[in-house]
Amino acid sequence: MQRLIAFIEHNIHIMLFVLLQAMCGVLLFSLNPYQQASFTHSAAFITDKSNELSSTVTDYFNLQQQNNLLQAQVSTQFKNDARSSLFFMNDTITLRDTSRHKLFDVVPAEVVYNTIYKASNIFIINKGIKNGIQKNMGVISSQGLAGIVLQSNENYSSVMSLLHINMNVIPTINNLEYYTGLKWDNANPQTLKITGLNKLEEIKVGDKVYTGRSSLLFPAGILIGEISKLETSPSSQYFTTHVKTATNFRNMDYVYVIVNKDIDQLSPLLLDND
Amino acid sequence: MIRLIFYWTAILFLQFVVFNHLGFTAYLAPQVFIVLLITLPLHISKPYQVLLGFILGLIADFFIGTPGIHASACMWLVMIRLLLLGAQDLKEQIANHLPYNVHSVGLSTFAATTAILVVFYHFYVFWLESIGAINWFFILLTTLVSALFTLTVIGVVQLLSDKSSGEF
Repeated sequence: MQRLIAFIEHNIHIMLFVLLQAMCGVLLFSLNPYQQASFTHSAAFITDKSNELSSTVTDYFNLQQQNNLLQAQVSTQFKNDARSSLFFMNDTITLRDTSRHKLFDVVPAEVVYNTIYKASNIFIINKGIKNGIQKNMGVISSQGLAGIVLQSNENYSSVMSLLHINMNVIPTINNLEYYTGLKWDNANPQTLKITGLNKLEEIKVGDKVYTGRSSLLFPAGILIGEISKLETSPSSQYFTTHVKTATNFRNMDYVYVIVNKDIDQLSPLLLDND
Repeated sequence: MIRLIFYWTAILFLQFVVFNHLGFTAYLAPQVFIVLLITLPLHISKPYQVLLGFILGLIADFFIGTPGIHASACMWLVMIRLLLLGAQDLKEQIANHLPYNVHSVGLSTFAATTAILVVFYHFYVFWLESIGAINWFFILLTTLVSALFTLTVIGVVQLLSDKSSGEF
């Protein structure tokens, strides 16, 4: 205690100095217009910086919610897209706008398991029968085609990824459908191959590859990828076409399951024909 | 004592009536009154010195119309003076209650200490005054011109002062 008193006695002039300097600061910044403006400016700068810092931190807590919102928004937009509806002309004059019949519904889902380095890659999503997901439904990512549902249980579904050697999609290039399968050859997880394209076809590197109308799983016009290489060999009249997938399977976190609402009506028609 | 009061009054009068209104050039704003703090008697206790600096600064602020600037600068001046004087051997002067001036400590010591304090004081005041619109060239030039002028006045006052009185 005595040492404390001695310390205070010894340094009282410094304490007095600090106190009075603070008073000067108050006088200076409250009465001088120039310094006041400058002080306010600096204070605003510091406040801005600290707000920015805190928002970069707190933003992370919000990301999950933001993601869900965005997913819901994307699926709504997709449902309202012309691609996923069919135009029924009921009569010559339609008074109510019911002519557009929505064929496809969209369910957002999160990828909980994913592989890309196997020969038969699948991924698992956190939506199942409870959410109306069934076998053989198409799955897309925000970038493009992703896969087809293999099986579902109560809460989860497994999806055959595009990177699966049994996957076969009919590609549409430049509005023409080519009935030669688009397959993955278990090599590069970004590249699919089309083997039976005739060299006389007018295709070139950079052309986009979409889904066509020969499948009930996806609406037509979903991006699959882009032609990255046309391999030719003198002994063959066909290209080996390399297609770079639109979906990056390495960081696929969120997907959308396409639900064909009229599949029960459509598939019997196909069966009768076969 | 009467001489001391006369000395303080005279210096403050000169500062506020004459030196604050020198109209030769914008670069000349000498703060001669700080000689009162530089030559404070050495036996005054540190807290009183700080308080005295604050009061004198406030008086200057009142006359010049710059709230806080001179009060702050005067206290810094007192603190730096304490620091500088701490490095000098002044036991004899303190025992004899002498002021800090050219007669008590000698020309070279007094001149060096005064030069440092005067230059610092002017720089600090001009810098603080120009916060918000800082022009370093103007600040440095004004500091140089005003400090030289102030040092000259202080030198003249010291030479004219009566050695035997020993009061300032």
